[in-house]
Amino acid sequence: MAFDLGTPVNTALLLYILYSIQRIIFPSNSVPQSVPNEFKNGYTWMPKSHPPTLLYQTYTPKTLAPFDGKEGRRILLSIKGVVYDVTAGRNFYGPEGMYANFAGRDASRGMAKQSFDEEMITPIDQPLDKLDDLTPEEIANMHGWMEHFASKYIICGKLVENDAV
Amino acid sequence: MALSDYLVTDDLTIILALVAAGLFLLHNLYKPQALVHPILLGRQSDVARVRNPSESAVYRNYSTGMLGRFPVRPTKDQQVLLDLVKPDADAPRTLWSTKITNPQLRERIANFGAGLAKVAGLVPQESNVLLLLNDGIEFIISDLALASHLIPSFTLSSLSLLSPVLESHPPSLIITEAAFLPHLLELIYDSNESEHHTIVVVGDVAMANLPQVQNKILHWDDIERQGAALDKSVLPAPEPSDVFTVSFFETPSGGHDGVQLTHENMTAGVAATRALVPPSSALSPLDTIVSTYSLSTPYGRAIAYTALFEGTGFATVDSTKLIKPEGAPTFMGLKDLRTSASYRISSPTVLFVHSHHLNSLTNTILQEAQKASWLLYNFAWRHKLAGILEGYMTKQSLWDRLVFDGARVKVMGKGAGTVRAVAVSGGPFEAQALTPSRIALSVPVINVHSHPLAAGPVFASHAQDLQTFPPTPVSSSAASAADAYAFTYLAPVGPPTVNVEVKLTGVDDTAVEAGADPVGALHMRGPSIGRPLSVEEEAAEEDQRGWRFTGERAKVAPNGTFKVVAAGKA
Repeated sequence: MAFDLGTPVNTALLLYILYSIQRIIFPSNSVPQSVPNEFKNGYTWMPKSHPPTLLYQTYTPKTLAPFDGKEGRRILLSIKGVVYDVTAGRNFYGPEGMYANFAGRDASRGMAKQSFDEEMITPIDQPLDKLDDLTPEEIANMHGWMEHFASKYIICGKLVENDAV
Repeated sequence: MALSDYLVTDDLTIILALVAAGLFLLHNLYKPQALVHPILLGRQSDVARVRNPSESAVYRNYSTGMLGRFPVRPTKDQQVLLDLVKPDADAPRTLWSTKITNPQLRERIANFGAGLAKVAGLVPQESNVLLLLNDGIEFIISDLALASHLIPSFTLSSLSLLSPVLESHPPSLIITEAAFLPHLLELIYDSNESEHHTIVVVGDVAMANLPQVQNKILHWDDIERQGAALDKSVLPAPEPSDVFTVSFFETPSGGHDGVQLTHENMTAGVAATRALVPPSSALSPLDTIVSTYSLSTPYGRAIAYTALFEGTGFATVDSTKLIKPEGAPTFMGLKDLRTSASYRISSPTVLFVHSHHLNSLTNTILQEAQKASWLLYNFAWRHKLAGILEGYMTKQSLWDRLVFDGARVKVMGKGAGTVRAVAVSGGPFEAQALTPSRIALSVPVINVHSHPLAAGPVFASHAQDLQTFPPTPVSSSAASAADAYAFTYLAPVGPPTVNVEVKLTGVDDTAVEAGADPVGALHMRGPSIGRPLSVEEEAAEEDQRGWRFTGERAKVAPNGTFKVVAAGKA
């Protein structure tokens, strides 16, 4: 036989050595066609999407109501016309939470009077609660809650009357 | 043949196996480590959680964060401009061609200020002084003396602004070069000014050849000498919020505008400029900075004051000169950089250059390297590029010693060994010019974006960022053709600097909600941004106060880096 296969192991090793030497002396300069989306896949990479940012929107009681956390939707609630995104507090404000009544509604009176009862919340089709009959302590309490929400959650909109839009 | 016949081994096998194992280890484990971990380069800006309709979110540098406070001064001791010249640092350093220590510099400033107050009769907070000087130590001394005496100075970014500024904002005093004096006197005479400016001249002037005017002409050296003989009274300290200079510049639409800079703007600009180089290799008195930005611009002045603060040597190049002799050639690129050698500074270590300087320097170095040995050059390029694609770059590799060091020495002289960082700004810098620059210089190349309204940089890329992105076509149809070209081919300028926040307006909401990159008009806010003269009233609300429109368009990438198209560019 012209081709000696006597030591195929040697041939295999020799081929591997030649391949390694080639990779060391001629390193790869290839740039991948599409930029990877993970840093594990390459030094030059780009995250797939921008960090999440909410759009500041104007809500009415009717448009705010769907955001009660059911079916995985976002949870919004409003105090004194400021709408907060409380999706991070799904345990409290989600469908099974203690304060689920507030989800998607104007919670101003409830926050002021420190109560989660149904009568603190005005129905959607009526004008917004004017909060005229609150005592100064209740108003201070409500402002305290507004500060708490502003630091813990995200202010993402404002609440206006149903016919103001 | 049986399987065992195939697996015959002998002594050669053992040798080959050892060599193969060694090569395997060498190839797979001896990979250079990236200078900065790529995970940090995926989130370079901190983004606000909410954005207003048709605006993008507010972006800040990730190290500052949305809740962090902007650094307003390099250290808490630098409240006003004169504090940037640290009184207790008494090591001598060379500024242009003058070797001087900080206490000596402060003394000269005090002398000049006292002399000026007595001889020229300037009133603090009412008089204005126009500085029509080329960059030099006289500029710095005049500027600092006026700032400590609460007298605002005017500077012009180009001489074409001289007539409009003399008309709209007549100064009480003009400090100028001797070479420009005849020209200036003619201009004043022609414009029939009712006010008589006093003129202070730097350098020797032949009094006989001057047109007869009623202006008092004083000599800079005389004033300094007279001031040295005076008793220096204690001056009222300026507030950081006092305006110390108004810098006039040309707007892209052809008009002119001015920006009022306060002491705080300049100290914040110095803080931002210091942050351009990584803390592990921060600026120190061992450095020498060469800048191609004129001191008459806010960015150029911030660079100069950073050099003053850090105690480095400092010089500028020929193209920064405001006043040039008639018919003098304008240098560009490498020739311009070489004019800094006419000063007595030591070899430069940090360069603040325009993009045409960097491109010229890179091309010359690569041409020289190619001329030496074409084969070795290709090998060297291939190996260096492989390193850059892994995020690693060094100036001490084998290929540098074989190929590039020789070329660098031919082109840069002693600078080949000393230059350790380059900050490039001003002028469109293409992404495909990045890799040749990195390979040719093998030092951190920081892509900076500056603006006439900002003392200090606005955007700056991470110093150790070596990512190379292929040009991706912009899919948004909202961008014009010129913008689309720019956003595809320009190099990203990185995130906002440590004390600037930016936002884009005029953004397509539906596209952004669908995940596209926001593209819009660029607005900026921060302690280093001065107030333009064209802005008369500030917005009432805290949120909207202080935002300045740059006149430029920008695009944000998901990793927080920006691409900025300069205004008025085709």
